[in-house]
Amino acid sequence: MALYNFKKIMVVPTAKEFIDITLSKTQRKTPTVVHKHYQIHRIRHFYMRKVKFTQQNYHDRLTQILTDFPKLDDIHPFYADLMNVLYDKDHYKLALGQINIARNLIDNVAKDYVRLMKYGDSLYRCKQLKRAALGRMCTILKRQKSSLEYLEQVRQHLSRLPSIDPNTRTLLLCGYPNVGKSSFINKVTRADVDVQPYAFTTKSLFVGHMDYRYLRWQVVDTPGILDHPLEERNTIEMQAITALAHLRSAILYVTDVSEQCGHTLQEQLELFNNIRPLFTNKPLIIVANKCDVKKISELSEENQACDQLLAHRVNTKIKGKKVHDVLNRLHLAMPAKRDEKERPPFIPEGALNRRKAMEVDAPKRKLERDLEMELGDDYVLDLQKYWDLMNEDEKQDTIPEVWEGHNIADYIDPDIMRKLEALEKEEELKERAGEYESDEESEDEEMQEIRTLAKQIKEKKQLMVLESKEKDVHGPRMPRTATKVEKKQLEKEMSNLGLDMSDKSNSHYAQQGQRSRSITRKRKREASAPPTSKTRSQSASRPPRDQSGLRDGKMVKKTKKMMKNSQRDMNRQARRGESDRHVFDLKPKHLLAGKRKSGTKDRR
Amino acid sequence: MRIEKCYFCSGPVYPGHGVMFVRNDCKMFRFCRSKCKKNFTKKRNPRKTRWTKAFRKSAGKELTVDNSLEFEKRRNIPVKYNRGIWDKTVEAMKRVEEIKQKRQARFIMNRLKKGKQLEKEEAINEVKKNIHLIKAPHAGKAPLFKEKDINDVQIVGLLASV
Repeated sequence: MALYNFKKIMVVPTAKEFIDITLSKTQRKTPTVVHKHYQIHRIRHFYMRKVKFTQQNYHDRLTQILTDFPKLDDIHPFYADLMNVLYDKDHYKLALGQINIARNLIDNVAKDYVRLMKYGDSLYRCKQLKRAALGRMCTILKRQKSSLEYLEQVRQHLSRLPSIDPNTRTLLLCGYPNVGKSSFINKVTRADVDVQPYAFTTKSLFVGHMDYRYLRWQVVDTPGILDHPLEERNTIEMQAITALAHLRSAILYVTDVSEQCGHTLQEQLELFNNIRPLFTNKPLIIVANKCDVKKISELSEENQACDQLLAHRVNTKIKGKKVHDVLNRLHLAMPAKRDEKERPPFIPEGALNRRKAMEVDAPKRKLERDLEMELGDDYVLDLQKYWDLMNEDEKQDTIPEVWEGHNIADYIDPDIMRKLEALEKEEELKERAGEYESDEESEDEEMQEIRTLAKQIKEKKQLMVLESKEKDVHGPRMPRTATKVEKKQLEKEMSNLGLDMSDKSNSHYAQQGQRSRSITRKRKREASAPPTSKTRSQSASRPPRDQSGLRDGKMVKKTKKMMKNSQRDMNRQARRGESDRHVFDLKPKHLLAGKRKSGTKDRR
Repeated sequence: MRIEKCYFCSGPVYPGHGVMFVRNDCKMFRFCRSKCKKNFTKKRNPRKTRWTKAFRKSAGKELTVDNSLEFEKRRNIPVKYNRGIWDKTVEAMKRVEEIKQKRQARFIMNRLKKGKQLEKEEAINEVKKNIHLIKAPHAGKAPLFKEKDINDVQIVGLLASV
C-alpha cells in the first residue's frame, strides 16, 4: 500500500519556482483590467479576488505536498525504519512541520488583508494592500526554501526505492560483504545487480523475483554487514539490519567458505551469533558459498529454504481460523458406479500413435530440404507434384487461364456441353428462320435517282450557306436590286439550273455607262440602248467621290496609296477607325486569378 | 491471374494495368485507366455516361438478354483441374464466342435499320421540296408563247379592224 504511493508523490518545486508559478497563475487566471473610475466595491472585489486566489493556490499546493508524503506512523514499520535510516526521521518530520506552519501563516495573512481591503477607499489603497499581502505570502514561502529542497530530494530517492512488498513470500540474503549474495540473486532471478570484486558494491537493498511451485517469490539482496555493535553501524548496513528486522522472510545467511571476502570463517560465525536475535521466528538457512574454490560437504539448496518457509506459512495458516472456511468449500466428487459396464478412459488413436512415435522415434518423411541437398544445382521447386488431382499424369500440365480476353475459369461448368448443345440448336433454328440473312434491299432505279438528287441538293445547300457566310456585309443591308448582277454570272447560274441561255433575242441586259471622265470615249449612240433605271442614269452624270478631283490614272494610284498608308496603322491595331480607342482586356482577371476550387480543374 | 472488369466502363483490366480503389465499406473498385477513375471520383454515374458499356446496355443499345451471354459468369467455387474438362471448355468457349458476336452484330444491325428507313423518306422529302435549287422548274420545256411576228396574220387582221 505505501510502496505504491512512493512513486506517485508530486514534484516539490523549489521556493523560487513555487513563487513564480503561483504569481504568474494569479496574473493569468484573474481579471487584469481595473480603472480608477469603477465603483469602489468593484475595485475592492477585484483586488480581494487576487489575494484570495494566491492564497488558495499556495494552500492547495502545500496541502498536496503534505498529503503526498507518507506519514512515518502510517506505513509499514519496515518502510518507516528504512526511511529513518535513509532520511532521518526527525529531519523529515521537521520539514513537513515547517511546511504545515507556512501554510497556516499564508492563510492568516490572506484573511487579514482581505479584512483590511474592505475598508480601502481608493484604487491606490486597494492595490497597495494587495501588493503587501502577496509580498508577505511570498516571503513566508521564501523562508521555506531549505525544507522544500530537502523534501524534493527525499521524494526523488523515495521513488527509486525498490518495491519490496513486506507481506509476501521473501527470501533475504545476508552476510558479510563480498560473499556472493548479489551473484546468487543474479543467477536466481532476473535482477541485474552489480557484482564487483571490492566490498560494499551493493549499497542499498535490491529486489528480484522468481517462480517456485507456481508462486512468486521476492528475493531481497542486502548490502553486507560488518561486525560491530548496532550504534556504530552506518546507513548502508542499517538498511540491511532494517530489512532483517522487519521483513518476515526466510533468511539465507551466506558464508564464504573460501574466505575470499577477506574475513575468516570464525569472523563470519561471530557475526552470525551477533545478529542471531534478528532471526527469531524466521526459517534460517546457512549457505556455504564459493565451494567450487573450496569444497565442504555441508551444502544447502535454495529449495530447502523455500520449502521450509512454505511449510512454516502453511502451518501458521492452518492454525488460523480462516482455513476452516476454505476446507468446507472444498469437496472432491467421485462418480458412483451405476452398472457393471466398463467405462475406460477414451484416448483417440491419433494421440496413441503419436505417443508411440515419440517413444519409438519413427523415421521422418523425406523433406524438400533433403531433396534440395541431394540434387544441389539441379533442384527445381515443383509444388505441383503435391497436387491432389484425379489423374496423376495431369499434374505437370500448364493450366490455361485466359483466352482472347476472357477468363477460362468463368466458363467452367459441369454441364457446359449440354448448354452448348442447346445453344447450337437455337442458333440453327434462328438461321433457318432467316434471321441472319442480310437484307440489302435492291432499290429500284427511281429510288437511286432520288438519292443522287437529294445528295446534290444537300451539297448545293451547304455551298449556299458557305457563300452567305463569306459575304462580308459592312454597313446597311441593301436590297438585291441595288447590287448589279454581272451578265456572265447570270448566264452561268441559269445554265447550271438547266435553262437555255443561248437565245439572246429576248434578253433585257442593260449597259453601264462609262465611269471615268478624263478619258472620254465617244459612245456609239446607235448600238447602245438607253438606260432603263433611274439610278443608272444618275451614276453616269456624277463622278464617284474617289475619282472626283483627280487628273489621271497616276494621281488615282497615288491617292489610293495614300489612303492605304493612313489606314495601315489602324488596321494593324485592329481599330475600326481613327476614333476607335477601345482597350482590349488581354488578361481577364476572372480567368487567371483565384484558387482552383473543386470541379474546375478542367477549365478556368 | 484474371482479367478483371473496369467498374466504370466495363472494359478489361489486364494484370499490371489500372488502379484499384478500396472504400471504407470494403467494396473494391477497379478502373482500367485514369479516365474512368477520374470520372468515378467526380461521382459520375456510369449508367448516364454515354460512352460506357453500362449506359449502352441500360439504354438498350446493345444485346442484354441472351443465352450466349449466360456462359460467362463468375463462379466462386473453384474446380479442380481436369484436362478433359479444360479442353472441352476451351472448345466450347470458342464456339460460344462466335455465336455471341453474331448475335450482337445482328442486334445492332436491327437497331440501325430504322435509321435507313427514315433516311429514305427524308431523301424523298428533300427532293420534293428543294428540287428548284439544282433544276429550274421549267428547264427543258418549250417557251410559253413564242415571239410575236409583226407579219402575223391575226395581228394584222386586228390592226386592220381598228
